[in-house]
Amino acid sequence: MPPDTPRSDAPRSGAPRFLRLRAVEQRFPGLDMPALAIAALDIAAGEQVAVMGPSGSGKTTLINLLTGLERVGQGSLIWGDTDLATLSEGARDRWRAANVGLVMQDFHLFPGLSALENVLLPQRLARLVLPAGAQAEAGRLLARVGIERQGQAIETMSRGQMQRVAVARALAVRPAIIVADEPTASLDADSGAAVAQLLLELAGESGATLLVATHDAALVARLPRVLRLESGRLKD
Amino acid sequence: MLRFIAADLRRQWAGALAILLLVALATALGVVVTLQERALRLGSARAADAFDLVVGAPGSETQLVLSSVFLQAAPLPLLPGTVLAGLIADPRVTWAAPVGFGDFIEGYPIVGTTPVLVEGMGGLAQGRGFARLGEAVIGANVGMRLGDHFHPQHGRVGEPGGTHTEITYHVVGRLAPTGTPWDRAVLVPIETVWLAHHHDEADAAGAAATNPFLRNAHADAAHEGDAQEAEPLNDEAHSGETHGSETHGSETHGSETHGSETLEGEAGQPDALDAPIRADSLTDPHAPGVPAIVVKPRSIADAYKLRQAYRTDHTWAVFPGEVLTRLYGTLGDVRLVLSLVASGAQALVGAAILLVVTIHVVQRRRQIGALRALGAPRLAIFAIVWGEVALIAAGGLAAGFALGYGGALALSSAFSTASGVSLPVAFVPGDLARLAGLVLAAAIVASLPAVLAYRQSPAAALRG
Repeated sequence: MPPDTPRSDAPRSGAPRFLRLRAVEQRFPGLDMPALAIAALDIAAGEQVAVMGPSGSGKTTLINLLTGLERVGQGSLIWGDTDLATLSEGARDRWRAANVGLVMQDFHLFPGLSALENVLLPQRLARLVLPAGAQAEAGRLLARVGIERQGQAIETMSRGQMQRVAVARALAVRPAIIVADEPTASLDADSGAAVAQLLLELAGESGATLLVATHDAALVARLPRVLRLESGRLKD
Repeated sequence: MLRFIAADLRRQWAGALAILLLVALATALGVVVTLQERALRLGSARAADAFDLVVGAPGSETQLVLSSVFLQAAPLPLLPGTVLAGLIADPRVTWAAPVGFGDFIEGYPIVGTTPVLVEGMGGLAQGRGFARLGEAVIGANVGMRLGDHFHPQHGRVGEPGGTHTEITYHVVGRLAPTGTPWDRAVLVPIETVWLAHHHDEADAAGAAATNPFLRNAHADAAHEGDAQEAEPLNDEAHSGETHGSETHGSETHGSETHGSETLEGEAGQPDALDAPIRADSLTDPHAPGVPAIVVKPRSIADAYKLRQAYRTDHTWAVFPGEVLTRLYGTLGDVRLVLSLVASGAQALVGAAILLVVTIHVVQRRRQIGALRALGAPRLAIFAIVWGEVALIAAGGLAAGFALGYGGALALSSAFSTASGVSLPVAFVPGDLARLAGLVLAAAIVASLPAVLAYRQSPAAALRG
């Protein structure tokens, strides 16, 4: 355990450190207190972590910083060799496109496109030409999450199916990091359980680091490490 | 990206179509103004091609041209008969023909003139030119046939004032199409027009006695009467009992139904309208006056000399082209005003659409934020928003040009039907440049909402 890392925020296993977050403080205009203040946080490569906390505790801010959606206001946030605090917005976009798979509560799938087109959309937008094998990999992932009619228009699917397509999309570029923000919150219990199972399995199969912000106790119970946030600070 | 744009437009087709139609209608307004004004210039210039110089009595030059070239009925002061005689005799003149107005048949104006004008207008497509007082040559679009007979209606088109039952014209020829109001005109000998209007006078007999032309006409008729009995005209249709099956308004066939007061067959009298037209009646200085004379000068220099010579206290010579150029100047001002109105409408529509698109981008901020979160670069977001707006605007502009062209064609067709002036609707290379300019402007304007989307923070957008 590194001497500068508080005990509760350290990786639980002896796996190599992947995320190193130090003295991060994020403030927003109009707020006296920082929305997020974390002295230190380390996450090992391939670790599966739950992030819990009440509304306004700083979960979304933490997710936004970890994925590069927002620039770190103060402190350092290093994934592997990349310090996101030093990257421009464009560079963070490129880094996120290459390294992060996102699963969001509202799916953010695009009507008018099929399941397969939705899975491929981020790659189509990020590159002029679709990489070789991308289409086959998207098909494989859709099959893996149980979507058989890959040409089906997304708006005709059930919510559970939609979230499974979103999971397939998050994994399509084989990211090193998968971030899920309330992935089961808008689903019924069965669908939520199925999606949670898929996330854990697929993250495990790919070796990706999994971060899940959730209120779902059942899902939290299945994740080996839990980070608890309260008023923007990590709790033991 | 194109698939995403296409899917997005398909999903929001109603809104996209509404914006496209707004752009199209605003564009069409400007296109119609431009095309119609150009068509009017071209059409009127072509209509005036055959008229190098027009001589009339002093007054409104514009009215003189409108009446003589475009056959717009209006009371014009008459020139003395000596003017026509002088012009015909002038060595600087190739030909000179009177244009006498008055009377119509079924909405077609009847123009009294001489055979040289028939040739000057481009010649005949069918039949032959008029050679006798009772013969008529019809314009290309007049709804009559060769062999038809008709009585002229007194007055001007749209203002009926009775029928000249004493006169029956016999259609003997049809002009080749000219694309001018003369396609809807009925050309008859000027002498017959004089005759008809003298006949209207209460003392017609007195007028006939004192007027040298009328005196000649009656004398000719009397002279020819015997010859016709011995050698009938080689003109089948003249015998109305067997020909001229169509009835045109006040038309009757042959002479069997004419009123008791007739110039063509009063009991035992020779038919005055069977008399041949006589060139010397025009050169008689005592001939009745005419409202306008169309002159074909021998050369450009002669044209200028003639114009100078006939600008006197009693006559006024004009180049129709020159008058039209002045008219175009006024038209140009009108076009400028209409263009400004159209441009204002386009700018307002553009601003309204820009507002709608901007609101739309704001409403879609979560979707745009999600695209960014999923890894879409900012440039891709810019391209998506710009592409959608530019595509709708370009489609609207193209549709607007097509709509404007269609509208101008419809207007030209309606105008041509009413006036006879063929208005050629055509684009010129400058219009393509204008379209390109508008597309470029639309592309620049489309970049405003695209920049708004480009600058949007994905985290803030996802927070909603």
